[in-house]
Amino acid sequence: MKSPTPPPFAERFSRSRWLWILSRLPFILFVSGVALLLWMSDRADREERRTTLISDVLWLEQNLRFHLTRNEELLGRIDLAHTASAKGFESFARTLFGFESGLRQLIWLDVEGNIRQAHPTTMDPDLAGEAAAGLPSRQSFRLAQSLGKPVYSSAYPFFTDDWQFEVHVPVSREGRIVGVAVGIYRIRDILGDSVPWWLAERYRISIIGDAGKVLGARSKIASEVTEEGYQVSFDPPGWGLALHAVPYHAPRPLASMVLSTTLVVLAMMVLWNFWALRRHVLRRQAVEEQLRQEHAFRKAMEDSLDTGMRARNLDGEIIYVNPAFCRMVGLPATELIGRRPPMPYWADDYLDETQTIHDRVLAGDGPVEGFELKFKRRTGEVIDVLIHEAPLIDAHGQHSGWMGSMVDITERKQAEERARQQQDRLQSTARLVAMGEMASSIAHELNQPLAAISSYCTAAVNLLRNRAPATEVLPALDKAVEQARRAGRVVRRIYSLARRSENRFELLHLEERVDAALSLIEADVRRTGIRITLDLRAPILVEGDPVLLEQALFNILRNAIESMRNTAFDQRLISIKLACADGYALLTIADRGCGIDAGVADKLFDPLFTTKPEGMGMGLAICRSVMENHRGRLTFEGNPGGGTVFHILLPMAQQ
Amino acid sequence: MNSATTHIVDDDPAVRDALQWLLRSRAVPSQTWESAERFLAVATRDLSGCLLLDVRMPAINGIELFDRLRALHCRLPVIFLTGHGDVPMAVQALKDGAFDFIEKPYDDNALVDKVLAAIEHDAKRCARDGTILMLRQKLATLTQREHEVMQRILAGKLNKVIADELNIAMRTVEVHRSHIFEKMQVRSAVELSQVLGVLGDAQDY
Repeated sequence: MKSPTPPPFAERFSRSRWLWILSRLPFILFVSGVALLLWMSDRADREERRTTLISDVLWLEQNLRFHLTRNEELLGRIDLAHTASAKGFESFARTLFGFESGLRQLIWLDVEGNIRQAHPTTMDPDLAGEAAAGLPSRQSFRLAQSLGKPVYSSAYPFFTDDWQFEVHVPVSREGRIVGVAVGIYRIRDILGDSVPWWLAERYRISIIGDAGKVLGARSKIASEVTEEGYQVSFDPPGWGLALHAVPYHAPRPLASMVLSTTLVVLAMMVLWNFWALRRHVLRRQAVEEQLRQEHAFRKAMEDSLDTGMRARNLDGEIIYVNPAFCRMVGLPATELIGRRPPMPYWADDYLDETQTIHDRVLAGDGPVEGFELKFKRRTGEVIDVLIHEAPLIDAHGQHSGWMGSMVDITERKQAEERARQQQDRLQSTARLVAMGEMASSIAHELNQPLAAISSYCTAAVNLLRNRAPATEVLPALDKAVEQARRAGRVVRRIYSLARRSENRFELLHLEERVDAALSLIEADVRRTGIRITLDLRAPILVEGDPVLLEQALFNILRNAIESMRNTAFDQRLISIKLACADGYALLTIADRGCGIDAGVADKLFDPLFTTKPEGMGMGLAICRSVMENHRGRLTFEGNPGGGTVFHILLPMAQQ
Repeated sequence: MNSATTHIVDDDPAVRDALQWLLRSRAVPSQTWESAERFLAVATRDLSGCLLLDVRMPAINGIELFDRLRALHCRLPVIFLTGHGDVPMAVQALKDGAFDFIEKPYDDNALVDKVLAAIEHDAKRCARDGTILMLRQKLATLTQREHEVMQRILAGKLNKVIADELNIAMRTVEVHRSHIFEKMQVRSAVELSQVLGVLGDAQDY
């Protein structure tokens, strides 16, 4: 009843929630750390690629510039040997073309701007751009002549999808300009010739003209560009040209991929774990709550029971008692649990009996239909209980002890006892009434003839006094005689009534009759707490009527019990001894009762003499008559230790 | 039947016969009845003598018969014969007006003495009953006025006073007085008072 009350659910819940959050925090930190790491590494990666891109583009620009500058120098070194004949010019051009720098045509112009030599000579008729103003570009030609330095023209379309530009290099000899060497670059060829394969693998490289127009590009069609590229001005050689490089989507390094994937997968797994754990915990909490409610329900049920419950383990040790049981025996549970037999609530007078039944139950041999025992309360009051024992099976199906249920039947027993006593009294009263009725009827029967006799005789006397003649008197006397005979007949009839039950003699064992008589008084013995000692050594055969002998023994034993009504409990003893000597069986029944007064002793066997308020005075008279019927004797004497001893002497049967 | 007879009611023929013998030995006339019913058939208020009644009888017992006789106004004195156990019953009967009871076994001559006493008692009762009957007859002949005058005479008032009270003439009172004396067959007021005393105070005359 004083079990610690569990903390309110809300409180428990908030605490678990706090724990829950606390346990989640490291996880969140871990995940965000991983994400940060991944992001940072990605950013570093990007930075690095950007740097590489820039340096690559710068390198490419330098490289192109180097090619252009070298070609300028080479063009500036053209001499007469080359320009004089087409054959010489062709070999010079082939030498330059051999550098693979995107140079596609060489033209030699004189100071007037007339084409002297050209290789290859074939000119496309539909040239666009500056071609409209004549090829090569006049403006660049003049600029180169006047500056005395190489001049680049702006890019112009060549056919439909290509662009080209020119470089005009003035050639001077002995301080005088003798002509202008013009080199024509095609942008596609520049890209194709001077961009190395490894660069082309990584970037989409294009050359962009004015207004962002792409003049030419080198790209792998299959690859996608991902991010913005880098642009560097490619100005000095061309006009308003720019070099633009966009990196292709490069596959990320495998190790980093593996690492990040692993991290992500691990984080996912941790997350899943966490979720599973939480679900498990929640389910467990729900089950726990259900269990707690179930437990509370069962406990309430047990506490409200009127039936006492007591569980013992296989050694007989008490492991559980319910409040009803505690109330029943008046002991707190703490004093009961862990106790071994003998239990503090066993009634002192029934210890052996209780121990026996206890051992039987533990051996699995207890009465299935339940049994009655006497327990005592702490106050010493003895109560009757009805017990049912059932095996205790634990959760693993193991037989772990015994569960007993106890019902207090003291009041029921008392009521039964009262009813029985009432019944006894009623029966005894009824017997008395019947007997009184019978006696009254007998008295009347006898009174009638006696009254008649008396009257006849008085009449005769009266007549004789008056000197009446004998003849007048005689009839009265005759009638008186007749009435006397009638009275005799009445008496004989009563006699025959009394002797109606014929004795049925048979061979019988005297000790068995003693046992039978004892079983008749068993209830009284138990009720009054009398002890009985038996000393029935040898089987003794006598000839007699079993029913009458039993009745006589019953009467004597009942007298013995009633005589001990005021004897102290521990003194209440009836000792029965059976012995034989000289062909006689001697049965001695000794009690520790109030004894027999000397004044009463003479009349003890008289019919209708009694010392008991409800007695009829027939018991001992019947006993004596039964014994005499059996050619035996019934005597009594005082018991030296107080009480009375009855001796029954019966002749043994002739073998 | 008007002569005094002892009626014996007992279911036992021997006892009846023996009682009759006993009474006859003392010269007391008697008549026997074997059951209460038989006796009830002849019982009238004119019976005289006495009744010997056994308490314990089959069918109608003694007490019951006694009650029925009283209902019939038969005032025959009753002596109960009782056994040992019937005494309380008999005592109750005595309280209810029975003459006596005698317990078995009884002293027979004492029983006869009681019977004789009862007969004498009954005879006296009969005589008194006769006197009272005659007186009532005489009183019945008086006129209303004569009754009024007689009551005042018995109260010891003088003629003059009576005349004043009744508002009649003195002479008329004297005439009434002589008529009363004549009808009641007395010679003086003292004698009148004695005669009427038999009826007792409670009697309304």
